Order: sequence, then structure tokens, then C-alpha cells
Amino acid sequence: MECQGGIQGVKIEHIMGDDALDPAQGINVARKFVSDELMYGVVGPPVSHVAQASLKIYGKNNLACITTAASKPELTESGYKHFFRVNARNDAHGLNCALFIKRYLKAHKVAVLNEKVAYCQNLATQTIKNLKELGISDILNDTIVAGSKDYSAVLTKVKAYKPDVIFFIATAAPDQAIGVRQAKELGIEAIFFGTEGARDKTDFIEASEGAAEGAYVYHFSPDIYSIQEADAYVKNYEAKYGTLSGFGPPAYEAMNILLTAIDLAAKDGKIDREEVISQLSAIKNYKGILGFPVSFDEKGDLMGGATYFFKVNGQNFDQVAVLTGE
Amino acid sequence: MEDIFAQLSQQAINGITIGGVYALIAIGYTMVYGVLSMLNFAHGELYMIGGFTGWWVLQLFSINHVPVMNAALLISLMILLSMAVSALLGLVIERIAYRPLRKAPRMNLLLSSLGVSIFIQNFILYFQGAKVKVFHVSQLIPQGIRVFHVGGVSISFMRIFVIVTCFLLMVCLTLIIKKTNIGKAIRATAQDIEAAAFMGIDTDKVIVTVFLIGSALGGAAGVLVSLLFTQVDYYVGFQAGLKGFTAAVLGGIGSIPGAMAGGLMLGLCEAMAVTFFPSAYKDVVAFLILIAVLIFRPQGLLGEKLREKV
Repeated sequence: MECQGGIQGVKIEHIMGDDALDPAQGINVARKFVSDELMYGVVGPPVSHVAQASLKIYGKNNLACITTAASKPELTESGYKHFFRVNARNDAHGLNCALFIKRYLKAHKVAVLNEKVAYCQNLATQTIKNLKELGISDILNDTIVAGSKDYSAVLTKVKAYKPDVIFFIATAAPDQAIGVRQAKELGIEAIFFGTEGARDKTDFIEASEGAAEGAYVYHFSPDIYSIQEADAYVKNYEAKYGTLSGFGPPAYEAMNILLTAIDLAAKDGKIDREEVISQLSAIKNYKGILGFPVSFDEKGDLMGGATYFFKVNGQNFDQVAVLTGE
Repeated sequence: MEDIFAQLSQQAINGITIGGVYALIAIGYTMVYGVLSMLNFAHGELYMIGGFTGWWVLQLFSINHVPVMNAALLISLMILLSMAVSALLGLVIERIAYRPLRKAPRMNLLLSSLGVSIFIQNFILYFQGAKVKVFHVSQLIPQGIRVFHVGGVSISFMRIFVIVTCFLLMVCLTLIIKKTNIGKAIRATAQDIEAAAFMGIDTDKVIVTVFLIGSALGGAAGVLVSLLFTQVDYYVGFQAGLKGFTAAVLGGIGSIPGAMAGGLMLGLCEAMAVTFFPSAYKDVVAFLILIAVLIFRPQGLLGEKLREKV
């Protein structure tokens, strides 16, 4: 868009806000953004617990938000008009993960650990509900503390439970790297199944120094390297910034969708924030780099979202399955 | 039955490791409290700085995550430099933030220490970013001896190393306090700072020494934990500081053996609690024990009863 001369000839400025995945910081970022009159849209908030805290502030000021990963269902059930997502919701992921654990990993006994923040707790509940419906009732449900860096006590408990699969639900890749590393150290033989945050070559595969080999993760976006439309983007990005994380492509897609909406809103020579929101909700079958067309339903949810599953193979994630709730 | 025994032994190992680290942090709190009757809330940040220094050293002497020097030498260098940097920072903090307030009410010192803590955290956040720093340590230890499995219990080489180092540091400290002149001076100053000054003890020097030792141990704790758990970020000092402070109170604040016992007990209680309760409740159990101890022994496990001065 920038190469095409900006929005209707006006230059775009990209401003970053760092919420450190902390709701309190997220509110500060939101306040800063809404008070900037030249701000017409936000790619974010990135995760559910930050979104939960800050969406109201964006909403009051009619500033459009497209999240790339916040997946708690309630977020789009609160009647917000300004909030959209390019990722599927937890209820879809929970069902798909349960199906994957049963069909693909063939587990009978599952340990589910979650991090006690909105996204993790919610995904744990959704997954366990669906596992039970699929007939798996041998489930250990316990929690971990984000950032505590030591999960050996709870993993010791998991080891004694002897599950077939550990579903390790944490927000960030580094915590999952510690999880998989300490599970190996304790001699746990169960399959390690991590969440979308873990699809990060540097912070999960490299940081676990070999312990992640053979582990599975799910993600809300497909393997970007296998999509032709994404070729140019991947090449340009990696030449400049190094390896892509799983969050990169959806964020890029969200940014482009937002810029398209802003561009459409500015076509008649004037623009306001409400106009950007209505242009966003009118987006239909946007074809970008994610390999599927993006359309939003009336709540702002992505239509027809799927869950993608990957296995760690050396330094790469190999896509092994795609599930859409069937 | 064998299962539960293996699980409890494993939790004991987990607990002793983290407990030893809590103990090292608690010593810093308790020593400063002993001589100045103040809570140094910036102490957790010295732990964080210790971790970061270790990471910088490791980065400096590794190419593509492979160390360029002897692993034992590199680990020693990491620990020594972390202790040195934390000790130095402890001295600077004492000189800038605490000494000018020596005669002020204790509350001012407490606030000053909170300010220092926030400053250091944000300083690191600004210059190092919020992203976690990963320690690539697997190349430091030869393949065959990384993890030992005995019965149902697993213990890694690094864990053994951390436990042993914690205990060696504590033994060294005990010898310094018990056998040397400066140790005697520290004990005297802790007992009564004015009387110690009358006896010709340079109490300023003692206070500086206390900050030096306490901060160095905090830094050592930081780098040891980072070696074991392989990650450090700008925020780790907060949680560690809180646990270290709790351990110090549990053991009896002002008492060095108390800090050691308090740290180990806190670590063990947390690990054991996870076995029997959901792990979300591990802090609840740990703090319930703290409250119970304080009800029946207000001076802490090994603290001395303060007699009212008439």
C-alpha cells in the first residue's frame, strides 16, 4: 500500500504499542492510541486477556481493531461493532484439538495444563468438554503460572499420572519451551502438544534445544511457506528481519485488510473512524496471503475458520492435519 | 505405593533446588534488615541483573550457541561476573538511594527501595526489551551426563550443580559470619548499631559489606536459576524478590540461618503442595504455612525474640 503512494496519496505512519501481554499495559496503549486523532485503526489487541481489558476503550472511541490471535469466544459476543478477528475462536479450536488428540494422537489419557489467563482457561474448558463428549474421560486438569520459569513441580504430578498426551496451554512460546524441556528432563514419555503461541522457531524449537523434537502444536493459520500468494511477503520479511513467527502472517493480513478498509473509507476525500469500521464489516472474500478468503460475520468473527496442526521436525514445523470441526 | 514414593522424592528434589535459591535471596533481605532494620525491596532486581549478566557473558563467549571456551570455566565466569555486577550495583544503590536517608524514618527508606526497584526494572526493559532471553546451555554439558534417572526419579546435572553451589555459598557465608573479624563486626552491628560504633567498629563499612555480600548472593541466585530454567526477562526479579522476602520472614527476619531454613522450607512446601492440591493453590499453601508459623512463633522459625527496651 505504501509503495502505491499511501492512502489516497496520504502517507501512512505505523506506530507500535507494547502491551507486554499485560492487561494494565494494554489499557495504557489503548488510551494512547484513541487519543491520537490521526489513528484510524489498530492491528490488535494480540491476546484475549489484553483484549478483554482494552476493547471497551477502543469501542467508546470507535477505533477499529483487528486481532490476529485473541480467540476467547466472548470477545465477539459482547456486541462490539469495532472488533474483528482473522483467527478462529476457542470453541472451534477446542473441538478441533479434542478431535486431533483422539483421532491423530490416539490418546486415552490426557493431561491438560493451562495458564490461568482468559485464552488459556477458556481453551482448556472447551477442549476438556469436547474430549469428554468424544469419550475420553481420563483427564488431569491442572494449571501453571505464566513466567514462573519452573514447571517441574506440576510436571512431576503429570508424570505420576502417566498420560498419553500433555496438552500444554500457554500464551507465549518461551514458557512452552521450558515446559517441553522440563518434561523431557523428568523423563515424561507422553506426547507434548503445545498451543498456537509455540509455533515459533526461535522461541520454541531453538529455545528448547532439541527437547521439542516430535512435539505437536496447533495454530490458527496454515503453513505460510506452502502458500504461493505469500511467497513475496515471506521472502521480503525474512531477508530483512529473520525467521517468521506464527503470528507474523495473520498480523500482515490484518494490516492489509485494515489498510484496504481505510483506503475505501477515504475514497471520497474525507474519513472518520466510524466509516473505517463500516468498511471493515463490509469486507468480503478478501484474498491475501493466508491461503483462505477472509470474510467477517455480523459479530466480527472470521467465517469458516479452521485449526491447523503441526509437528516439530528438526528446525521446522511440518503441517500434519487441518480440522474444521468434523 | 512405589509411585507415590518416587513422586514425593522427585518433588523433594524440585523443592530443594528452588528452596536453595529462595534461601540465597532471603539472605540478602535478612542481612540488610539485620543492620538497618529496613526492607530492601530492590533486592529482587539484583537477582534479575545477576541473570542478565550471566546471559551477556554466555552470549559473549558463544558462537552459534556453542561455547568458545571450556564449559566449566565459562560457567564459573558467568557466576563470578554475575555476583560481581550485582554486588557493585548493590553498593551503588546503597550509596545513592539509602545512605542519604540513613537518619530519615524507615518508611522513607522503604519507598526509596521501591523506587530503585521500579527504576532498574524499567531500565532493563528499555535497553533489553520485554522479550525473554534464552540461555543455550545444552552444549555446556556433555550428552551422557545431562540427566540421570534413578528409580522413578530424574535429576539433571545442572540441577545437581545448582543445589551444590547454593549450599557451598551458604557454607562460605556461615564461615565468614562465624569465623572472621568482619563477620564478628556484622553480628555486633546487627545486635546494636550504636553500641558497635562505640566499640570502634566502622559501621558504615559493615553496612557496605552487608550490601556487598547480600547483593552478590542475590546475583548468584539469579544466574543459577537462569542456568537451570534457561530463561531470564526483566520481570523475574519481582516474583523472586517476593518469595525471598517471604522466606526471610518465615525463617525469622534478621537471622541468617533462619533465612536459609526459611528458603528451603518454602521451596519444599510449594513443591509438596502441588502433589496434593491443584497447582494453582501452591502459593496459597505456602502462605498459609507462613501465617501459621507467624501465629505460633511471631519471631519466625529461627528468629530471636525482641525484648522491649525500657
